[in-house]
Amino acid sequence: MPAKVNCREASRLLSVACERALEAGESEALQYHLGRCLMCRNFESQLKFLRKAAQRFSTED
Amino acid sequence: MSTTPVTDPRFAEIESHRPYLVRYALSQLRDGQLAEEAVQEALLAALESISSFGGKSSLRTWLTSILRFKVIDLQRRAGAERQLFDAAQVDAVADDEAWLDDLFDETGHWRIPPQAWSDPEACLEQRRFWEVFERCLDRLPGAAGRIFFKREILGEETDAICKDERITASNCWVILHRARLGLRACLEKNWFGAGAEGAR
Repeated sequence: MPAKVNCREASRLLSVACERALEAGESEALQYHLGRCLMCRNFESQLKFLRKAAQRFSTED
Repeated sequence: MSTTPVTDPRFAEIESHRPYLVRYALSQLRDGQLAEEAVQEALLAALESISSFGGKSSLRTWLTSILRFKVIDLQRRAGAERQLFDAAQVDAVADDEAWLDDLFDETGHWRIPPQAWSDPEACLEQRRFWEVFERCLDRLPGAAGRIFFKREILGEETDAICKDERITASNCWVILHRARLGLRACLEKNWFGAGAEGAR
């Protein structure tokens, strides 16, 4: 059974995952949480969108 | 100045990147006058050395790399003392967890749960969306806005950012996290959320 994390911690891990590979324990805990939390899944897709939008922003006029 | 080749056909092309360059300079310097000064110097330098631009990178990337040095130069001129003070301030921002308490309750749940955004990709084609995006970027606290811009918009590596800002990688991540949470909340409120412009 993976460690339990709350949304505050899960969102932090999602953000950290944009910067470095998560450790096995972190990753398991995050996946376990995401499997049960729609709000954090929304946040996860929004992070991906933010990164895409930011990259696009550099070419927008 | 008399040597500035204003007749060069690339002059207009260089000028067309000015709004973007001002945006970049503002995000780093947070001072309208200094930002204009940095851009002006960068554009003049670019015009003088346009012949060395090989076209390997895009013109905008080349201009931004020139501007980057001007910005660092201006930051240095503003005083080493202020830089150190800034680094300390950035660390303080990273250590301060109170802002997270505004977003999460005592049990670590979202106070305002992130909604599902409908068709975000389509927004990328809408001019108004970019205006909202830019306003939201401007509203990020100083260090968060500056570091997010470097990391996500310019695509700089975290290592390089840490070195420039004289902060640790983990503080850099905390600040990026803060910027992402802030930007997300601002976009939801002003664009994607119920009743907001993009949801209509």
